[in-house]
Amino acid sequence: MAFLLRRLCFYLAAFLAAATINFFLPRLMPGDPVQIMFSSAGAELPPESLQALKLTFGFVDGPLWQQYLTYLGSIFSGDLGRSIKYFPLPVTTVLGNALIWTVGLMGTATIVSFTLGTFLGILAAWRRGSLFDVIVSVGAIFATSVPAVVTSLIVVFFFGFTLNWFPTGYAADPALDPAFTLQYLGSVLYHGILPMLTLCTVLTGGFAVTMRNNMINLLGEDYIIMARAKGLSDSHVMLWYAARNALLPTVSSLAIAIGTILGGSLVTEVVFNYPGLGNILYQAILARDYPVIQGQLLIMTATMLVANFIVDVSYVLLDPRLKRA
Amino acid sequence: MKTQPFGLIRNRKALVGVAIIAFILLVAIAAPLLTPYDPGARVGRPHQAPSLAHWLGTTRIGQDVFTRLIYGARTSLAVGFGAGLLITLVGTALGILAGYRGGKADEVISFFTNMVLVVPNLPLLLVLAAFIGQASPWVIALILGGTSWAWGARVTRAETLSVKQKDYVKSAEMMGEPRWRIMTFEIFPNLISIVGINFIGSVIFAIITQATLEFLGLGDPKVVSWGTMLYAAQKASALSVGAWWDILTPCFALAFLGIGLSLLNFAVDEIANPRLRTGNRLGRWSALIRSGEGRL
Amino acid sequence: MTAPLLSVKNLTIDYIGEEKDFRAVDNVSFDVAPGEVFGLAGESGCGKSTIAFAISRLHKPPALIRRESSILLNGRNVLDLDDKGLRDFRWREVAMVFQSAMNSLNPVLRIEQQFYDVLKTHKGMNRTQARDRTAEMLKLVDIAPDRMRDYPHQFSGGMRQRIVIAICLALDPRLVVMDEPTTALDVVVQREILQRINELRRSLGFAVLFITHDLGLMVQFCDRIGIMLAGKLVEQNTAEAIYGSPQHDYTKQLWASFPSLHGGVLL
Repeated sequence: MAFLLRRLCFYLAAFLAAATINFFLPRLMPGDPVQIMFSSAGAELPPESLQALKLTFGFVDGPLWQQYLTYLGSIFSGDLGRSIKYFPLPVTTVLGNALIWTVGLMGTATIVSFTLGTFLGILAAWRRGSLFDVIVSVGAIFATSVPAVVTSLIVVFFFGFTLNWFPTGYAADPALDPAFTLQYLGSVLYHGILPMLTLCTVLTGGFAVTMRNNMINLLGEDYIIMARAKGLSDSHVMLWYAARNALLPTVSSLAIAIGTILGGSLVTEVVFNYPGLGNILYQAILARDYPVIQGQLLIMTATMLVANFIVDVSYVLLDPRLKRA
Repeated sequence: MKTQPFGLIRNRKALVGVAIIAFILLVAIAAPLLTPYDPGARVGRPHQAPSLAHWLGTTRIGQDVFTRLIYGARTSLAVGFGAGLLITLVGTALGILAGYRGGKADEVISFFTNMVLVVPNLPLLLVLAAFIGQASPWVIALILGGTSWAWGARVTRAETLSVKQKDYVKSAEMMGEPRWRIMTFEIFPNLISIVGINFIGSVIFAIITQATLEFLGLGDPKVVSWGTMLYAAQKASALSVGAWWDILTPCFALAFLGIGLSLLNFAVDEIANPRLRTGNRLGRWSALIRSGEGRL
Repeated sequence: MTAPLLSVKNLTIDYIGEEKDFRAVDNVSFDVAPGEVFGLAGESGCGKSTIAFAISRLHKPPALIRRESSILLNGRNVLDLDDKGLRDFRWREVAMVFQSAMNSLNPVLRIEQQFYDVLKTHKGMNRTQARDRTAEMLKLVDIAPDRMRDYPHQFSGGMRQRIVIAICLALDPRLVVMDEPTTALDVVVQREILQRINELRRSLGFAVLFITHDLGLMVQFCDRIGIMLAGKLVEQNTAEAIYGSPQHDYTKQLWASFPSLHGGVLL
């Protein structure tokens, strides 16, 4: 399909942009870029490893374009260098392990809060002006205006430290071996509840307001009035005529929200000491582990692009006007 | 869509929002009058619980939390409004330019806008801040302005496209007004509600993001702001040692400011699009239905 | 005249404001006989669409139908129906064609589905039965039945309006309210649609309440016409009389504002 192909090309360009930023940043800073990039390594790195790292990041003798191509070459062959903090682990291994947790957390939270928020928004719009609408709208204002870092800290304080109901760190009990056992999965769920709760609190309100407003903007449309004139039941009109159409702009705004979701998820992981990308990144920032910091931009961008692509595909599936006959 | 100049005053959400922001602003301005302490100085024992001498307790190194809170409000507000203004300026200018000029200019601007929209903002900021090192609040405001204008540009462009078709723009073109004049005096004034929403949204975003970056250790720890307060408290494991005042104080301050700004944002949204209103405006209608004066 | 099919009596509708009210329809009474075409004409904002909405009780707050009003269909007061009664009444007895042909069909549902939800709700039909009925109705308006699997955007404006008319007739209603049914269409398509409605009306025997601001069109199409001004029905008479000997000053003004009509030929 032409539309999706065009999107794919665009995503490739966006990924290249992220790589370009990575390439130029150390070179734009005052001082020696090699020194900046690997300063935290100190004397611990064996010279041949440092040489390999330099090559990966395009620090070769030659003009800038040659350095740039070298760097792009390593990225597209899947070589993001080695972490300095966790030397000699490759950046891809460090980030790959963390990515699973982040995607799991983010994905579940997005699905849960999108579903919940959309339903709340539908009902609020349908009963506009009612007490329910006021509660949803005002609740959403409160939930969305509080930064994720604040919500996480408050949640971890009350449910973790004060009430002691849930663990305040790790993705699972460290004493357990990671395996597909009921015990391990249960532990993962138990550890995931608080971060999930936080993310859902941060996200649901936004989805609810978006859906509510999109739906209210549609309620005056002729096809909604005709659906009522047809004698269809209230819930049928609400779901199949109003909500079904309001879902389209809501899904496209989901694409823009993904960045926020990702950011929120990073912060939440830091607060909950959850072993996802956010936490790895936090450690990397503290240790000035630049290969990991740069690697995460690429991985995050790729994650974001995949998520965007999923949104594109669902949009095409939802809107018959985009399908080619 | 009627413009209601007094809409903001009559909107309850707007009133509460403005009151919250004004309160924080006043406290920030009057900070030296409200506390005898210096925000950076050690004035007590470490992690003292709230008391008469230290209303909100002390930090790990014995600084007064209340003092840091009200001085920190200055930084958070200044960065929030500064960066918000910058983001709005860039976004509005690019949006109007792309929407009005069309053609090549539009293609280039739209391409970059869409690109910036799909590169995740926080990770990008983290990389930038990490290379800059301990970023001062003003540097943070600058990078926020440089990387976060895309949403505003997109919305402004869409709105410009519809305003551009209006008769008064057409007639200004016929009279041979220069393009920059049309963009500044014919188009911009008609985008004011979009620009307003964009501005308040950007301020919220800037305050949240600054706090987040500083919390993650990318700010300058010597600066007193709500973000660095969070960072210091988290680093001192304030929660696990039970010094809740150290970490919850900036938390609630950020939440409070965020709620104030959001209320204002929703109010502007409702005034620009009256259909979105929540309040019950059907008092008389309901009374008439109940008294049997009429029905539907 | 035989017993009227629709009898609107003392209909008064207000929009209730926070401080004061706006009277959209002011004490309007008229009858529509079975099989008749009755026209309501007047400029936009005169309350004619408000009447149309009231007949199917589609109004939402802050609209208020005053106590003294009644809308009788076959002698039964529509305003007294409860929720269930209202749902059964809608479309089965009064169907409606709305102003904008482009927007009356749900853009994300197949045509077939938009017939099916009516047929299932009111007649309890299953998919197969509904498909047969849909095919039959589409043929009535000259649309190939195999296109029922298509979405609204795949049809032209005129075709969409014919589809809406087909959906309207799917339950054999006795009254079809048409609120500016052809305003959004170009003149040729407009004429084609009106001719089609007229043929169908003759063969199926439903009555039409026809609402437009286009008096010229109305005179060609209607048996009787009511002229509305600022919520009031200022004149009602046969189409010939409205055209030939208008009584009210406003009707005369309306005619004066028209370019001369080449002999009001009835369809």
